[in-house]
Amino acid sequence: MKRLDSLEYLRLNKWQRFVYKITLFFVSIPGFFKNVGIKIGLFFKKIGLGIANFFKNIVLYFIHGDWKTKVSYVVMGFGSIARGQWLRGLLFLALEVVFILYIVFFGGQYLAQLGTLGTKAAVIETVVIGGIEVTVTKYYDNSFKILLYGVLSIFFIIAILYTWYLNIKQNHISEQIIKERKKLVSTKDDLRALVDEDFYKTMLSLPAIGITVFTILPIVFMVLVAFTNFDKNHQPPQNLFGWVGLTNFNQLFTWNTGGGASFGGTFGEILLWTLIWAFFATFTNYFLGMMVAMLINKKGIRLKKLWRTILVFSIAIPQFISLLYVSKMFSADGFINGLIMNMGGQRIPFWTNQWYARVTVIIINIWIGIPYLMLITTGILMNIPADLYESAKIDGASPAQQYFKITLPYMLFITGPYLLTSFTGNMNNFNVIFLLTGGGPTDINLYGGAGHTDLLITWLYSLTVDDTNYKLAAVIGILIFIVVALLSTIVYNVIPSTKNEEDFQ
Amino acid sequence: MATVKLTNVKKIYQGKVTAVHDFNLDIADKEFVVFVGPSGCGKSTTLRMVAGLEDISEGTVEIDGVVVNDLQPRDRGVSMVFQNYALYPHLTVYENMAFPLRLQKHPRMSNDEIYERVTSAAKILGITQYLTRKPKALSGGQRQRVAIGRAMVRDSKVFLMDEPLSNLDAKLRNQMRAEIILLRKKIDTTFIYVTHDQTEAMTLGDRIVIMKDGFIMQVGTPAEVFDTPDNLFVAEFIGAPKMNTFKCELLREGDKYFVAPFGAKIEVDGEKGKLLREKDVVPGEIILGVRPEHVAIASRPGPTAIPTTILVNEMMGFEYHLHVLTEDGTELIVRVPTLNLNDEERAKLVAGEPLYITFEGKAMHFFDVESEYNLIYHEEQPVEGEEIIEDAE
Amino acid sequence: MARKPSMGLKASRAIGNTFGHILLVLISIIWIAPFVFIVLQSLRVETTAQVGYLLPKKIGFDNFMFLFSPDCNFMTWYFNTFIISLAVAVLQTIMILMMAYTLSRFRFKSRKALMNIMLILGMFPGFLTMVVLYQVLKLLNLTQGNAVGGLILVSVASSGMGYYVCKGFFDTIPKSLDEAARVDGATRFQVFYKIIMPLAKPIIIYTILTAFMGPWGDFIFARYIAFGEPSGYNVAVGLWSWLTQDQINNHYTHFCAGGVLVAVPVIVLFMFLQKYYVEGVTGGAVKG
Repeated sequence: MKRLDSLEYLRLNKWQRFVYKITLFFVSIPGFFKNVGIKIGLFFKKIGLGIANFFKNIVLYFIHGDWKTKVSYVVMGFGSIARGQWLRGLLFLALEVVFILYIVFFGGQYLAQLGTLGTKAAVIETVVIGGIEVTVTKYYDNSFKILLYGVLSIFFIIAILYTWYLNIKQNHISEQIIKERKKLVSTKDDLRALVDEDFYKTMLSLPAIGITVFTILPIVFMVLVAFTNFDKNHQPPQNLFGWVGLTNFNQLFTWNTGGGASFGGTFGEILLWTLIWAFFATFTNYFLGMMVAMLINKKGIRLKKLWRTILVFSIAIPQFISLLYVSKMFSADGFINGLIMNMGGQRIPFWTNQWYARVTVIIINIWIGIPYLMLITTGILMNIPADLYESAKIDGASPAQQYFKITLPYMLFITGPYLLTSFTGNMNNFNVIFLLTGGGPTDINLYGGAGHTDLLITWLYSLTVDDTNYKLAAVIGILIFIVVALLSTIVYNVIPSTKNEEDFQ
Repeated sequence: MATVKLTNVKKIYQGKVTAVHDFNLDIADKEFVVFVGPSGCGKSTTLRMVAGLEDISEGTVEIDGVVVNDLQPRDRGVSMVFQNYALYPHLTVYENMAFPLRLQKHPRMSNDEIYERVTSAAKILGITQYLTRKPKALSGGQRQRVAIGRAMVRDSKVFLMDEPLSNLDAKLRNQMRAEIILLRKKIDTTFIYVTHDQTEAMTLGDRIVIMKDGFIMQVGTPAEVFDTPDNLFVAEFIGAPKMNTFKCELLREGDKYFVAPFGAKIEVDGEKGKLLREKDVVPGEIILGVRPEHVAIASRPGPTAIPTTILVNEMMGFEYHLHVLTEDGTELIVRVPTLNLNDEERAKLVAGEPLYITFEGKAMHFFDVESEYNLIYHEEQPVEGEEIIEDAE
Repeated sequence: MARKPSMGLKASRAIGNTFGHILLVLISIIWIAPFVFIVLQSLRVETTAQVGYLLPKKIGFDNFMFLFSPDCNFMTWYFNTFIISLAVAVLQTIMILMMAYTLSRFRFKSRKALMNIMLILGMFPGFLTMVVLYQVLKLLNLTQGNAVGGLILVSVASSGMGYYVCKGFFDTIPKSLDEAARVDGATRFQVFYKIIMPLAKPIIIYTILTAFMGPWGDFIFARYIAFGEPSGYNVAVGLWSWLTQDQINNHYTHFCAGGVLVAVPVIVLFMFLQKYYVEGVTGGAVKG
């Protein structure tokens, strides 16, 4: 395709420009994936180089190092202590001791069984205690613990390898400094630096530990679970679970298993609904919220503050109260149906008919979402320079033209990234769906008790909590991640806000 | 009060972009040095390296003979005034000025002493009545004073100022400039002052460091950089309106040098001619520079007069700035004082009228076409690049 | 302008404004009504079940009395939630501030990588790891009856990942203030608590407010780790348990009364600090 230069582009009329842009977008897609590929390649190259450097330095530092350095290869921190940097040295040493104790007395056994996740399940034995026969369950291998502590041990090993390397490098640096007859950093300086130039290390340590233990470790664990048969028939400690490779993922492609509910089919349907839901939830809120904000902002509207406060007020109420209440309001014997029946109407199956349910959740979500969007857009609307409108008026633009030529482009530009996060947020909008419908109405044609308003995330929840089908929950979790990541990367590379930051400034 | 010495200082961003090349400078105790240059020339970066706000990629910075490369800003004994004042918005003027004193540990300063210092600094700067206000309740000029006050309450060794006047309007800037000159006498310490404005540099500095693209173009007193610019860049940068520069032929006839601008032929007489002879400058094409105020008006046509046409006459009050066009289409600027002109003469200095101009030898500056160095004054010094240094010495 | 020759500019504007006001009144009713309904239901005493009409036939405070009665767990739940909220508000704010400040002000080698890792981690659905966290908490004996501690730990531990809004605010504080303070003799730590903290007051209040409000509605994880042990419930889980099929007829009005009691303090707090909330939400959205 021929790229137009800017002057040629200016000659096109509206439709030609539109077509040109669309084609440009599709033409750019392969290039985009190529770039992503290159980036990933560079990333791995960097890692590879890092590892190569790691081994190269280990050897070099050993050959050129003095005896203090050489001892540090075995006894971490020795060199530092010997050179008077006792705080660093003691920390290194303490870490090594902790690590050895951990592996010997705790982590080692789990690590050894990581390959099988345990071989000996619990056994019910009959033992004679004081002449009476009692059945006792004897527990042996616990697959859950093996996997958890195994992963933990691997984390620990990587961490210790890195610190070990730091320890060696530290020795090397100290040697250099001594060679240049400069002063080594003293322990006092180390401590002082922790509130000054190294303050970030102090500040980050606690959050980093928290995130590693409570987010990264569990995620790695669950990703691994997707490759096991961990479900209600394989519950430790009674039963073992083990590696099954890609079996769980294969289930995604078992479209029809003779009438029964297939995992793959259900996944497809729920994914589709999740995307539809996210689309409507995001854009209905966005445009309606913007309209409400513009209405309140309109010249001549009085009591602006009151209207805003009323809407903001509804944010303050915990969602579980308002949503549960509204859910009951729309239920078969709820207030709305009562009202309809009193007026001689027919009961409306808000939650029992799949189409009614889907439309109702989208509408109620508008009710939930508009106050937020009103808040967000109000701020931005007020930041649009007034002279833009003034000059547009002088140029003869009608209110509608002003909206489409100034307000909307400006808003979309500023809130582009927000729309993206809002879309992925809605894909995972657990509260609204769970509290309103609980995923229902359920359908026996759907796998694992899923319902017609279930999002992937609520399905994941019910698979975990109700079915204890952890392996499939893990698979869904991974798939949600892939969808969100793909969507984010593509959109993020397409929306203008991330590239032309100055366009509207 | 201290000397500052920069030796081979370099700033390289992310291992690629070099913002400052090989900066060498000795600043004497109590000297007022101005770094001046267009934006992006590395002047602020250099200052920030002295302050400790930027890492020094290569070379050393010494304050009072101590290498400070690895010291934190607070351990360097410098104080600094920022372009946007950087006043702490949540603190009153008094607390802003007391802030550095309250942080001092050795020795810890008593409340009375802090009060003493802050109020006396406020008195010097004339901001006593604002001490209880917050910065946002102050005008630009007052904020500027507070920023200076905060820097001067401390006995710092070096006083750093990063474009302190550029956020003020023109009138206030002139006033503050004068005040800084007065203030300098009272504070009496080593100053490094960064600006992009050559007027500020000329009026404030004991010495001026003119920079471009990370290189030092010339270091010298205001008179030196004005009268003997080392190269074309300095010649054009210093002085306003800027020096007229154009290509022209340099001729040598026996012992005499001539220039041949725009069809005229003018002898380079006096001191400049002597210097050309001493340097034994090779005749040929050169760049000739003449400052607008040194262009003379010739009364009638002649071999030394250049015929031009007036394009625009800017009335500045005490003088005219005449933009004139030579016959080959080069635009020159001529400054004509209005004081001694009668009405008849004034009436001739309007757009469209012809004007004959000429140059005197002492007003001329000669630059090499290739290297743009001053043919008379440029000494082969390590000012431009690293390579030249070797074969020059 | 010849577009609307029949109507003056003033008249058409007046009609537009009237219409706008009517619309706003309607909107207000729609948004306020459910909360008015909840209050009405909480005062209804003729039956505890759900009914098809709005105005109570008999008004009284029986439902509230029930909540305070000793055989009801509501007070325990309320207390649990309050403790969780308080602890989370303090600790989570500290975590977020630490993270946001460092990422906004320091340029260290692994900064970009760290931010990318957190971005990627954020793309995993939150409940994926529920099982593991449950087991970990169980090992620490922080489930069921001790769920309060477990909830606090889990809410706080990873909260550093929610640094975006706060960092966005820090980024707007001019860096030259940090630099000035450092030249003036402050360590990085002093810069943080003497300069940045006072200037970041709005965003700190926003962070505290959202952190405090979170646990009042936290439901999913709370239910999972306190499962089957009412003494470990928070209000959300407790009240939700009253609306299940077999409980709803006995407890519907109790739910409404409980809802009122939960909502009132949160609303009061929120209304007081509304300004900061609005600032935080708008800033966060624009930063993306």
